[in-house]
Amino acid sequence: MDALQYLENFLQSLVAGLLMGAMYGLMCVGLTIIFGVMRVINFAQGEFMMLGMYFAYFCFAWFGSYAFFDGLWLPFLLALLAGPAVFLVGLVLHRLLINAVTGRQASQLEAQGHYAQLVLTLGIALVLQNGGLFLFGSSPVSVSNELSYSAWEWGPMIGDRVSVFVNQAQTVSAILAVFVVIGFGLLMARTRLGKSLRASADNPDAAIYMGINVDRAHRLAFGFGVGITAIGGGLLASNAPFQPYIGTEYVIIMYAGVVLGGLGSIRGAFLGGLSIGVLQQVSAIILPNQLQNTVIFICFLIIILFRPQGFFGKKDRTA
Amino acid sequence: MTFTGVRKDFLHIALFGLVYFVLALLVSNSYYLLIMTIVPVWAVMGLSWNLFSGYSGLISFGHAAFFGLGAYLVALCMVVWELNPWVTIPLATVVGGLSGLLVGIPTFRLRGHYFALAMLAYPLALLYIFEWLGYQEVALPMNREAPLLYMQFENPFYYVLLALLLLLFTLVITSLISHSRLGMSLLAIKLDEDAAEAVGINTLYWKLVAITISAALAGAAGGFYAVVLLVVTPLAVFGMLVSAQALIFAMFGGVGTLWGPVLGAIILVPLSEILYARYAADFPGIQGVIYGLAIIAVILFAPQGILWKVRSLLRPGQFRMLGSSASVADFTANESLLAVSQDAHNDTILEVSNLSKAYGGLQATDQLSFSVRQGELLGIIGPNGAGKTTLFNLLNGFVRPDNGSIRFQNKALVNLRPNRICAMGIARTFQVAKPFTHLSVLDNVIVGAYVHTSSRQAAGQIASAAIALVGLQQQCDLPGANLTNKELRLMELARALASRPSLILVDEILAGLDPEAMQEMLVVLQKVRALGITIVIIEHSMQAMVQLVDRFVVLDHGALLAQGSPEDIVKNPAVIEAYLGKKWLENA
Amino acid sequence: MPDSILLELANISAGYGGPRVLHDINIALSAGEFISVIGPNGAGKSTLFKTISGIVTPTSGSITYKGENLLAIEASRRAHLGVAHVPEGRQVFGSMSVLENLELGAYVDKSGADFKQTFEKIISWFPVLGERQQQLAGTLSGGEQQMLAIGRGLAANPDILMLDEPSMGLAPAIADEIFERLIEIHRSTGLSIILVEQRVAEALHFASRAYVLEAGRIILSGNPAELHNDDRIRQAYLGM
Repeated sequence: MDALQYLENFLQSLVAGLLMGAMYGLMCVGLTIIFGVMRVINFAQGEFMMLGMYFAYFCFAWFGSYAFFDGLWLPFLLALLAGPAVFLVGLVLHRLLINAVTGRQASQLEAQGHYAQLVLTLGIALVLQNGGLFLFGSSPVSVSNELSYSAWEWGPMIGDRVSVFVNQAQTVSAILAVFVVIGFGLLMARTRLGKSLRASADNPDAAIYMGINVDRAHRLAFGFGVGITAIGGGLLASNAPFQPYIGTEYVIIMYAGVVLGGLGSIRGAFLGGLSIGVLQQVSAIILPNQLQNTVIFICFLIIILFRPQGFFGKKDRTA
Repeated sequence: MTFTGVRKDFLHIALFGLVYFVLALLVSNSYYLLIMTIVPVWAVMGLSWNLFSGYSGLISFGHAAFFGLGAYLVALCMVVWELNPWVTIPLATVVGGLSGLLVGIPTFRLRGHYFALAMLAYPLALLYIFEWLGYQEVALPMNREAPLLYMQFENPFYYVLLALLLLLFTLVITSLISHSRLGMSLLAIKLDEDAAEAVGINTLYWKLVAITISAALAGAAGGFYAVVLLVVTPLAVFGMLVSAQALIFAMFGGVGTLWGPVLGAIILVPLSEILYARYAADFPGIQGVIYGLAIIAVILFAPQGILWKVRSLLRPGQFRMLGSSASVADFTANESLLAVSQDAHNDTILEVSNLSKAYGGLQATDQLSFSVRQGELLGIIGPNGAGKTTLFNLLNGFVRPDNGSIRFQNKALVNLRPNRICAMGIARTFQVAKPFTHLSVLDNVIVGAYVHTSSRQAAGQIASAAIALVGLQQQCDLPGANLTNKELRLMELARALASRPSLILVDEILAGLDPEAMQEMLVVLQKVRALGITIVIIEHSMQAMVQLVDRFVVLDHGALLAQGSPEDIVKNPAVIEAYLGKKWLENA
Repeated sequence: MPDSILLELANISAGYGGPRVLHDINIALSAGEFISVIGPNGAGKSTLFKTISGIVTPTSGSITYKGENLLAIEASRRAHLGVAHVPEGRQVFGSMSVLENLELGAYVDKSGADFKQTFEKIISWFPVLGERQQQLAGTLSGGEQQMLAIGRGLAANPDILMLDEPSMGLAPAIADEIFERLIEIHRSTGLSIILVEQRVAEALHFASRAYVLEAGRIILSGNPAELHNDDRIRQAYLGM
């Protein structure tokens, strides 16, 4: 291969990485909001992403035939709708299970409940992924349409030698992901609800003195967190086939992004996810396919061992 | 005293082995025998996890890494070099242990959430690496001509026997460890890592020992598993479910106990196997769902596992105790065990110069210099927020100063870890008492006594002398969590004394005591002083302090406001203003 | 005048699971009054406030607020009823701006209609908060954070302001300034204030009535002038 071919490969991977990274970034934002507000590590986050994917898949299968409107855009609409649907699932799970080991209930447990939280969310992950196997089957499925197979061509550049293809479905997904992140960022920054969530994260006791119901804030944060990650899952569903076990590998990808960005920071989480996407795609130029995720895990270990406060966030006080 | 505990465990282990053996003799169905082989393997995994995470409180989601390495080692050695399992399973144990050590060295920089997350990444990284290496499915070659050598028996009963032996071996190791200094140190780390460091436990060292042993056992389990199943795939040995199962059996049965993981495996493995065999066609994920539901139910209804739950139902009101609950027949007030000799050539024991520490905008300690004379009782006072506790945290190594130096017996202290500082002779108590809640008073103090001895007996003698000195003989079997405020303070003092310090830092030991208890405490402090131990005490109650101390150092806003004798200090206008306010002087 | 009593604690005992921190506390506050609770560190002053705001549940006794049983009301609802707590150590929302901290102070006002007016009032008392409204609260100095914590408490337009050691860790001049401002606010608005302080002189100077707390019990109460001459206070603090 000559230099220009390398350049082409690199640009191609960079673009793909940025598009994938935008979706990872969105999922990371979901994860970080849960950690930021509740100080809980949610192991089941990947499974909520999986729920988002299957929501989009089944709705597409059911409604797709009716074709209310141009079927081209339906997968994206369904991905967005996966958010509210999984948000409700999150509210219910918080009330029934998570609430028992978090917030003010946690102070009575060993190690402020960390023990119980990690294990409980692991249990939820196991039930969801294996229950998914029963409900959804084990064969990989995908939500694809014409856009998934269409690309825009950039170039040819540099004397016809270099062309970059940009997948249309990924581009639409990435743009939607960015919009959702910005919208959620505005909700957190500007609204009374967002401020009450941030106050609960910053100092739960003081938040109670302000009249904020911190249990409710936690419930909403959990709902938003899993809902946003589910939207990310829904967008990713039109990108590659998936099966119920997909959550496990993505949970590490999400944590890698979140830790890279500094646990608890929305902007950091998005940039972290974006970087992970780029890293994953660019490393594929020199490394075999199977090792793509290994690179991410090793990268994750290096970050967490040497810079646990992340690169984009503030120093975390609970480290 | 401790050997009775071990002997009792050994008896139980032998009985269990016998029952299991007889049961296996009675079963002829080869499928049931397979289940009876797998149960001990998973019990070993549960015990392995429990030995590290259950005792130390650091949650590992990565035990699959050690298990998988063991399994692949045995499988590949047989495929490539035709090595037999009798050689390779011990090798898998060694490799497992080494990998545990290698994982531990970097990962113990982390605590809590971060530790658990990092541990998750190791087996998953290995999973993809083994896939990439082309080991998607490694089948063990059949060597029917030498069944004994290659552990490929016609009769599945022999597998049960080997699995049982592995389990009995693991149980013996676990029992020995739980009654040793290692077990005690790990429990202390789990219950309060800061306090453990402060009483002289080298937390990093003990954690490394624990993860090495634990990972070695997981490696052995993995190696044997490969022999039993004859085929190894990355997902089956490095997958998330492997780590999860190890954790689930231990948590379900009873975390931090000898029999909990065994109980968990005995209940859950056959349940999930049988249901899987019956319903797998209709409900492929049934095993995972059962494990998931089991662990959710345990967390919600019996957070420490069913053994503890049963125990609390059988003996309601009794507190959950960890550790070996040693008992000491007589508490000889052998003060010579605790006395320190004074260095005749050195009048100053501790020299603090220009010590500064800022938190954000707040200057907690500001260019602070003072010295402590050998054998004196120095009081440190100052209004709330004056930086007194920060000073103690700087002195015992919890906090590193931004600037300045601390010299203790002419040796520099800055940047040493708290356990080193404790071993050098500085012990402390805490403003908010930090008992090891689930250990008895005696065990709390024994943990402190291990600083200068590794013998359990010597530690017991020092501890009993310290307990006798503070007068807690009656309470020595009570758990740390059930003590009254006064008893807690006395216990912390005894624990500090047990490390045989030359200097004790005492932080608000009188806070919240009624006048009578306060007087008792003052008497004890005088006794400590009579041993030749130098005392630096932080206290708000000036009333008690003026009776007690030789000299005061007064802090305000992290800086030295005044120092001198009690008579001078209570007349010093700057001190009165700091304590009672300017208007007090105006109106007086 | 029993009908003007705003808050009444009767026989309150409390602790954190372990040893009891408060024993049999009786305190009453009339509408428009300024009272002080003084005592050395560890006497249980902060626990007293946490019991009123619902973070700590008492083991026995009752709290009546505006004739209602306050203990039956969930902690976060108490702020909505007009109880504002300015906690020990300030506890401002350090990652949020000064303005956002004040907005959160007014969280109980759902519509936000009165906020503008309240905000103007707060910055007239503490002008520095107006100058720094976009700055992150965590970057303020100790004195400014204390002013913000008080301003945040006032933003709710409360009926009672509970102040926990506003002088803690502050230089005397700054603490004096804060006390001056507090008495000004009290006089101009008639707001009921409970002040917990370890600085006895200031606490007695401003209050119309004071309680002395020692080791979780009220050992003295009465009007400041009497207490000022009581040797037991000097003894409790200075030992001689």
